[in-house]
Amino acid sequence: MAYVAVTGGKEAIAESIRLLQYHRCATETPLALEAVEKSMDLLIHRVMGEAGFYCPAYAALALKQCEGSVEEAVFLLRAYRSTLTRSYYSLPVDCGEMRLIRRISSVFKDVKGGQMLGPSYDYTYRILDFGLCQEDAAQAHRQAAAILAGAQPRPLERLETVSQGLRDQGLIHTPPENGEEPFDVTMENLEFPCPRSARLQVLARGDTGFVTGIAYSALRGYGFSNHPTIGELRSGYVDLTIPYLFAEGEQIDLGELLLTQVVSYTALDDGEAPGSLTIKEGFGMVFGRCESKAIAISILDTTLDEPGDAPCNNEEFVLMHGDMLEMNGYISHLKLPHYVTFQSKLSSVRKSREKGGAQP
Amino acid sequence: MDNVEKRRFFRILAHAPREQVAGLAREIEEHCQVAVLKEPQKTLVMIQVREPVKNSRFYLGEALACEAMVEVDGAKGMAVTLGDDFDKVLDMAVLDAAFNRKLPQCAAIQARLEQLEAQQRRDQEREYGMYRRTQVHFESLDSEVPHEDHP
Repeated sequence: MAYVAVTGGKEAIAESIRLLQYHRCATETPLALEAVEKSMDLLIHRVMGEAGFYCPAYAALALKQCEGSVEEAVFLLRAYRSTLTRSYYSLPVDCGEMRLIRRISSVFKDVKGGQMLGPSYDYTYRILDFGLCQEDAAQAHRQAAAILAGAQPRPLERLETVSQGLRDQGLIHTPPENGEEPFDVTMENLEFPCPRSARLQVLARGDTGFVTGIAYSALRGYGFSNHPTIGELRSGYVDLTIPYLFAEGEQIDLGELLLTQVVSYTALDDGEAPGSLTIKEGFGMVFGRCESKAIAISILDTTLDEPGDAPCNNEEFVLMHGDMLEMNGYISHLKLPHYVTFQSKLSSVRKSREKGGAQP
Repeated sequence: MDNVEKRRFFRILAHAPREQVAGLAREIEEHCQVAVLKEPQKTLVMIQVREPVKNSRFYLGEALACEAMVEVDGAKGMAVTLGDDFDKVLDMAVLDAAFNRKLPQCAAIQARLEQLEAQQRRDQEREYGMYRRTQVHFESLDSEVPHEDHP
């Protein structure tokens, strides 16, 4: 028998849970949910993405509840999400219509519509700003508002994707519309090989560190010998729409989501024949501004189609080991009592030593 | 702003602060019988995306939304909006029903919605102008470096 029920820890567990409050409430300084939600954008985006649940306010609440632990916050959001009914499926989001806040390309400097850096840490000195220790929050907010107030309005515009120009020249394949219904990993078990829709969904929900690490291993040569470049990275707001219940063909807008989309390019040789060198696109999308993860997904979208024995080529390896809830759940189970199984192992070790004549 | 423009109607309301939506709905609630058919409640919306590389669809994740359904003078109205603002979604449903019923108050409400939309547009254009200030104007320092313009 591998497991036996044990009891006796009830009071200790109750005290342990009380201690969480001791650690979470270690100061009288209030941690306002609004401050967490509005000032910790990138953390909120990461938690929402890994939970597969878009709701900045609840992500802030989850982070507050668990001392800022990403894995616990994801657990809380996934658990909460499971109590709700899914009543609607959105119409397909069109990122071509994105209200952009950032758009860059590594392949053409003069990309049509221009490159727009948006908010980015890429160009900052990574030096601790001790001035923030004495920051006057109200004054800092007024200064931030002044940035917007001082901006010159500019008409909203639809910028075509960088790939479109290459498609027009026949340098990138123009795919026909794929009408296949998306796979939903929250409703069905994965089987391999799995549909592309499942792959993109799993990677979007994947642990940021895991997804980025596997993509990094590919760039270092494990299972991939190319250097992808970013055709386009765009972040911005898209409208979420659903069909209107009372009139067929009508739609209603539910509000906006902040998303990041990346299309990366890799030059790949499809065969021996001349002219078989092609540019292959990889795609990645995430909630919010988690752009490193979006880039990593776009790389894995390419490497998972390439033959090889490395992790980045192995769909089952990548898709089965990067879910925050599953990986931490399994790791956490190691903290549960394994008294009987370990006694059994000890017994085996003793017997083995006795047979071999070793002294304890 | 008739049924043809439902998407526009809901977009304005979704972007509007709760107080403004409440002010518009009050015009209806003060003069009409409002029956709540579905109390405001939270729900999930699965976000579907069409990706450009294979031109296929996939599910990115779910979004929290709330929904409500009402009847105003015999006409049904519904609303779904992101977040968990029950008061706002109920008021949105009241306005939807009022427009479906084509109540006389709708003309004035429509005018205010159009004003709201214009303001929202101005706000978004100012915000876009702020981000556009980060547009890069490249100047190559090395004429030997080959480059091709984006087609």
